[in-house]
Amino acid sequence: MTGAGAVAEDERESQQEILEQRSAAIIAGIEAIDPDHVMHLASSTLKIVLSHFIDGPGARRGRRVFAMPREEEGVAIAAGLELAGARPVLIFQDNGIGNLLTSLLTLCQPYHLPLLAIVSRRGGLGEYNSLIHTISERAEALLDAADVRWFQLDARTPVSRWSTEIERAWAFARTTHRPVFVLVNLMGS
Amino acid sequence: MTVVSLGRAEVLRFIDAAVPDSPIVLSLGGIAREMLAVAGRKGNHFVSLDAMGQTVSVALGLALGLEKRGSTGKVLAIEGDGSLLMGLSALSTVGHLKPGLLVYVLDNGVYLATGGQPTASADIDFVAVAIACSWQGAREVRTVEELAAATDWALQTEGPILIRVRIGTAQLPVRYFLADPAILAEDFRRWLRSSMHARDSRQCS
Repeated sequence: MTGAGAVAEDERESQQEILEQRSAAIIAGIEAIDPDHVMHLASSTLKIVLSHFIDGPGARRGRRVFAMPREEEGVAIAAGLELAGARPVLIFQDNGIGNLLTSLLTLCQPYHLPLLAIVSRRGGLGEYNSLIHTISERAEALLDAADVRWFQLDARTPVSRWSTEIERAWAFARTTHRPVFVLVNLMGS
Repeated sequence: MTVVSLGRAEVLRFIDAAVPDSPIVLSLGGIAREMLAVAGRKGNHFVSLDAMGQTVSVALGLALGLEKRGSTGKVLAIEGDGSLLMGLSALSTVGHLKPGLLVYVLDNGVYLATGGQPTASADIDFVAVAIACSWQGAREVRTVEELAAATDWALQTEGPILIRVRIGTAQLPVRYFLADPAILAEDFRRWLRSSMHARDSRQCS
């Protein structure tokens, strides 16, 4: 292959490599936390991470992994789990942030219940969906307006640091008794 | 023939007396306020102040978490028809995971706390929905005798169980409940720790 076709092929390989490296770092970070409950929602960019927990090595005995029909439902289940002393982690896309705000701001925030959410970024460079940016570009603004603490992992943070940062976010949620979101960019930008 | 509906306060008083030592998640509005009026502040009651639609999900998380810690008892949720309809997808998650959960749906057909606007519950068969979502069992009750029988059955049956309680729209004159939610959560966790500790001590002796 030569010319534009070869460049496009190289870009695809590069994107795939980034996806795999960052997914592995996220998996390592979550596994270091050792959650006993992992709740997830459908996400093409998170497919490697989700596969690890749904039917890969992360689907281990003693850990419940299940889909939440809506993000707000996952927040409420996590609130109950936290009350019971469990270790839940939520994994979903940033276009679901709008769904969960009321649940988050009427349960976890005011009741001082820690919660860690791993939230994949959509709608940026490399996006293939023509409209998802309409909500995804506003993820940070929505969380700021809701006074939800968040951290971002993207090209500015070496991938070698990602797993440690996820662990630190878990600890920070517990130290400060509130939800903490880690926004992860798996699309290369 | 005149049919006298069950009153919400009467049902809440019954549930509190029938299940005094189990964790109970109370839905917002009149359910929480009237339970406080008839039973007072109870350590085993987790009061939801505003998270409409999430009562069953909170109870589900609680049940899963307590099962993880070795609890074999049931977690209860007392939900209203309006709030349940807001979070109806929770029934599918509960049916899928099958926790030890007993959900009472106090169904008066209206959003009573906000003036009595109608809900869609008159056309919804909650019992059939629960069964279709793979719950272990579900019943509908209209009298105190039926409520007592259904509760006895539910407490002896593996969960999840749903009991739809048809109630009227009478309300107790109650005050707003203005507690700090962070304190409510900590009080509830303290009760849970104490309850689990007592259970562990009994098992060791």
